This record gives sequence, C-alpha cells and structure tokens, in this order.
Amino acid sequence: MSESTVRYSPRGRARAIKGFLRQFLSYGSAQVGLVCLVFFLVVAAVPNILVGPLQTAINATGDFLVPPSGQHLLGTDEVGRDVLNLVVHGARISLMIALLSTVISLVVGTTIGMTAGYYGGRVDVWLMRLTDFFFVMPSFVLALVITPVVLEVMGRGGEILGFRPSLFVILVVIGMTSWAFVARIVRSQTLSLKERTFIDRARVVGSSNFNIMVRHILPNLVPQIAANGALVVAGAIYVETSLSFLGLGDPLQPSWGTLLSLAQRAGAASAGAWWYLGAPGVCVLTVSLSFVLIGNALDDTFNPRRRVIP
Amino acid sequence: MPDTADILRLESLQVHFPIQGGLFDRVLGRPAGAVRAVDGIDLNIGRGEIVALVGESGSGKTTVGRVITKLAQPTGGKLLFEGRDMTAERGSSALRPYRHRVQMIFQDAYQALNPRHTVFDIVAEPLRSLRLVKNNAQLTERVSEALAAAGLNPPDDFFARFPHELSGGQRQRVVIAGALAVRPELIVADEPVSMLDVSIRAQILQVLVDLRAKHSMALLFITHDLPLAWLIADRIAVLYLGKLVEIGTADEITFNPCHPYTVALRNATPQVGANAGRAELPALQGEVPSAARVPKGCRFHPRCPLAFDRCRQEEPPAIEVGPQHLSACWLAK
Ligand SMILES: Nc1ncnc2c1ncn2[C@@H]1O[C@H](COP(=O)(O)OP(=O)(O)OP(=O)(O)O)[C@@H](O)[C@H]1O
Ligand code: SF4
Ligand SMILES: [Mg+2]
Repeated sequence: MSESTVRYSPRGRARAIKGFLRQFLSYGSAQVGLVCLVFFLVVAAVPNILVGPLQTAINATGDFLVPPSGQHLLGTDEVGRDVLNLVVHGARISLMIALLSTVISLVVGTTIGMTAGYYGGRVDVWLMRLTDFFFVMPSFVLALVITPVVLEVMGRGGEILGFRPSLFVILVVIGMTSWAFVARIVRSQTLSLKERTFIDRARVVGSSNFNIMVRHILPNLVPQIAANGALVVAGAIYVETSLSFLGLGDPLQPSWGTLLSLAQRAGAASAGAWWYLGAPGVCVLTVSLSFVLIGNALDDTFNPRRRVIP
Repeated sequence: MPDTADILRLESLQVHFPIQGGLFDRVLGRPAGAVRAVDGIDLNIGRGEIVALVGESGSGKTTVGRVITKLAQPTGGKLLFEGRDMTAERGSSALRPYRHRVQMIFQDAYQALNPRHTVFDIVAEPLRSLRLVKNNAQLTERVSEALAAAGLNPPDDFFARFPHELSGGQRQRVVIAGALAVRPELIVADEPVSMLDVSIRAQILQVLVDLRAKHSMALLFITHDLPLAWLIADRIAVLYLGKLVEIGTADEITFNPCHPYTVALRNATPQVGANAGRAELPALQGEVPSAARVPKGCRFHPRCPLAFDRCRQEEPPAIEVGPQHLSACWLAK
C-alpha cells in the first residue's frame, strides 16, 4: 500500500503541541498578553531583588505622599512607604491569589461539570442544583460567612500555605464562587461529547467510565477549559481587588486591591496623589486585560471557525 | 447449521424507544407511544459465518448492532452468546470477557476516532482496557500486527499520526485494526464501506473476508446494499421496519427471493440477477413508514403490490419456504 508518503516523526504529541504553539503565538493579542504576563510574573517572582524587602510604617524610606521623583519612582504613601515597593510586593499576592483560586475553580468546576454531564439523570439534577446555588452566591456574602470559620480554625495569627487567614479566605471565596461558571460550560460540552461515536467505540473496546471521562472527554474539553480558565483568572483579579478594597484584605500582606483601599482611605484622590491610586490600578487593569487577550487567542486557536475576518 | 455451532443468537429481540410526550400528554396521563426500532427479531450467527443484515434507512439495522455490542439495552427478548444469556450483563468490568470476543466496526470512521488520540493509542486502547498485554513490548507488537492485518504498512509509520492526518480509507483501517487487535470471534460491521470511495471499498472488504478465512471470525455485516451483501455474506437477513421479513443463503435471497419486499429491493438494483428469480414486481412505492407508527397486520402492506385483506389484519409469521430459507409473508408457500 503506498497510501503513506510522508514520514512522520515518532512523537505525535510533541508535534501537535508545536503546531498549536505556532498558531497561538501568531496572534498579536497572544503576544501582547504573554509579554505583559511574563513581565508581571518575573516581578512577582523576585520582589526582594528588585525593590528590597516590603516596607512598613517602621522602615519607610520617604516623606508623606511625595510625588514621583528620582528617588521614589512612583512616589510615596501617607506613611512614607515607597509605592513602587508596595506595588511590586503586591504583584506577588495578587497573582498568587488569582492563579490559585483559578486552579481551585477549574478543578472543582471540571470535575462537577463533567460528572453531571456524563452520568446525566439524577446525578446531573443534583449537581446542577448545587452549581446554581454557587452561581448566584455573591462572593462578598460568602466571604462574610466563611471568614469567622477560617479564623476559628486557624487562629488570627496563623498561616496556611504562606497566606495569612484573610488572604486564605479570599482565595477560597474566589475559588468557590467561580467554579460554577466553569461547571456549566464543561457540562454542556460534555453533553455533546458523550454522544459522539468515539465514546461508543471506547465502550465497545472495554474502557471504563472513569477512563472514558479522563482519556476521551477531558482532552476534548481542554480548549474550553483553557480559554475560560484565562477569563476566570481575569475575573479572580477583579474579585480579589474588590474584596480587598472592601476591607477584607490583609494590611500585612498588601495586594493591589489592599493598596487601592489604603489609598482611598488616605484620601489620595482628594489630595491629588494620583500615583498612589494609579499604580495599583494600572497593574490590575493590565494583568486582567492580558489574561483576557490570552483567553481570546486560545479560543481562536482552538476554534478556527470563530476567528474574526480581518 | 446446528445450534451448537452458533456463536450468537437473538431471540425475539425487541428495542422500543419511548417517545417523550408533551407536557399536555403527561398531565392528562396520556400514554406517549414508542419508536419500535427493533420489534421481535430471531437471528443466529454461526462460528466463522458471515451474515449480512440488509434494510433501508431507519429499518433498525444499527440498533441491532448496538444491542449485540452492548451499547443499547433491549426492551425485550434475549441476546445469547454461546448459549449464555448476556441480555442483563452490565458494567465495563463485567463485560470485559464479552468485549474481548465481540467487537464493532463503525460506519463513520472519522467520528469513531477520538481526534486527540494517535493511531497507536487508538489501536492500543482495547489491549490496555481489556488487559490483554503484559508489557509495552507486547503492546507494540500486537498494535503493529493489527495495523498490518488491516493493511496499514509499515505499521510504525502510522503510530504517531492523528486521525485528521489520515485518508478516509486509512481511518477505516485504523478502526478495523482496533477491532482486530483483541482477536475477537465476532465483529459487527455497521456499513463499514458506505462512506468510502468505490476504489477503496474493495480493499476494505478484502481485509474483512481475509479475516474470516484466516481466523474463522464471524461477521455481522450491516448494509443497505443487496449486491454487496451477496458478494460478502454466507446468509442474508432482510430487515423491514424492525422485523426480519426474509432470511436465507445469499444465493437464495439474491436469485430466488420470496418476500415481495426482497423482490422489490433486488429489482431496485438491476445489475444482480436481472433475469433470474420469480415474478417481476413494480418498483417500491411510497416512503418507509415511521417506526413510531408501524402499520397493523403485515407491516409491509401499505407498500406491497400483492397485499390482500388478510395482510391488513394479521401479521404473517416466518414461514419456511426452503432449506434455511424463511419468509414472513402470507403468500409464502
Ligand atoms: N436513541 C434513539 N432514540 C429514539 N429513536 C431511535 C434511537 N435510535 C434509533 N432510533 C430510531 O429507531 C429506528 C431505527 O434506527 P436505526 O439507526 O437502527 O436504523 P438503521 O437501519 O441503522 O438506519 P440507517 O441506514 O439510516 O443507518 C429509526 O426510526 C430511528 O429514528
Ligand atoms: S403478507 Fe401480504 S402485504 Fe405482507 S408482504 Fe406478503 S403479500 Fe405483501
Ligand atoms: Mg445505521
């Protein structure tokens, strides 16, 4: 049989990933998003090397509310701390919370959505009731409910995974309020996937339900999970910011949201201290925007048909 | 063929799909009907025998195949494998021995292959899930062997490819290789060549015929094409609206059909046996009725040119018209 003319490299999966990356990186939005993201990830990875240890009221280095200058590139706050120092340290907290809560949300949402869609029937009904419950749950209310529980369990001074209790609450709250969105998308996709003939074939060749879900359905869900995952991160950054802004953050581990909240309380807006509000604000916008750009580029790469005609 | 040689038997097999009535019907407690996709079929397949199941679209061919491969649960009747009742068996681990011996080839090979799996993984899947190999070396050997038997040579050229990197014929060969890999005793082939180019059809059919010759594997060959059935099968069973109307050896059904439906089917394909056979009948008129509204009496009577009063009232039983030749028609002698 001379049906094969091209010799293929033995590593099928590596070849597929390479092709995917080439396509993905050809999008301008993906490039911009990735550059911004890598920049912030580097900043978040080594804050001490870049700007020294986190400044507090005790080791503050400047005067009160000094505008940007050579010595303080982004000015200082109301107790004389360097805003650049605060923003760089805030990147670590903000990104950690956003990424970890997204992981929680994707793992929970995918597991529940896939189980509901695959088994259907009563399993589906009950899991979707649970999902709808969390879907409409406001994150702030949930935070108020679980804060005392977490504080009771951990004690006010304790730490969990390097997070102080209030940050841990934010992490859990975002994870718990955003998985329902993922579960709904995953469920509807699973409903259509399980009708495909390759699932029938998998059954005929003896694969168990667990293997069908993990080896057949899950890989086909990756596009949806990845594209929506990027949007979940963007949403998580916003929720983190707003929860911190409302005072749920931890002043000892300030995130960008906490900084915005501090700036607002210090009257930065009326005092004309634009740098104090602007620096964390621009960071929040840039990072969430870059995740949206990456999410859209992923979506376009996986679904060539949905690509916009230039 | 004596009973002991049968590998598979269907006894009054019935598959009815409930019709979801509207809210109105449900509130009034009105019974919603059922789609009688398969409506009482008796069929046996001998060891190493090729049986063709022929019928128009919607006659229930695929549903029969899905019952045999345990993808659909019958609502009545029995599925016997080597005399053992498999009707109620469920669950992937309980069915493992059965899956090892009964495999399926699908009509649309593109749909039947997971787009994110390589050819190697696809063919290796049954060997892994049915635990038929002990180590990777053995796995590679069995996969290569199956790909070669399905006509994909050299096998390792195909290992790393994805389904979208194959031609239609190659994809169907991969599906066949996956079924062969476990060395089954019965394969259900649901219109395995209907989506392929004519030039590739013959090659794929050759692969299937060779398998029977080499491994004496039984085959239930599902098709809507009577000449094709004659070409490949030992016996032909003709299905109409969920019921077998005629069954017999391939030559009998093709050259000496007895049931008016079979005669009409044969007349629709002039190249085979144009001058042989019995009374010539006009071509089939009208549409196949819906399986949700099966006609009373003989289910073929609204389209049958020979229909008479009795046909509209009573359903004809299968009547023996010759050795191994049954016909469900009141006019059968
Ligand atoms: N899951 C289902 N639910 C309801 N009705 C069904 C289902 N599967 C099949 N049917 C109905 O049962 C009848 C037989 O379908 P089946 O697919 O077995 O026919 P077929 O002979 O294979 O047709 P084709 O040649 O088009 O493949 C059809 O009327 C079909 O609409
Ligand atoms: S029983 Fe009557 S209607 Fe049915 S096939 Fe025979 S002659 Fe036609
Ligand atoms: Mg069919």
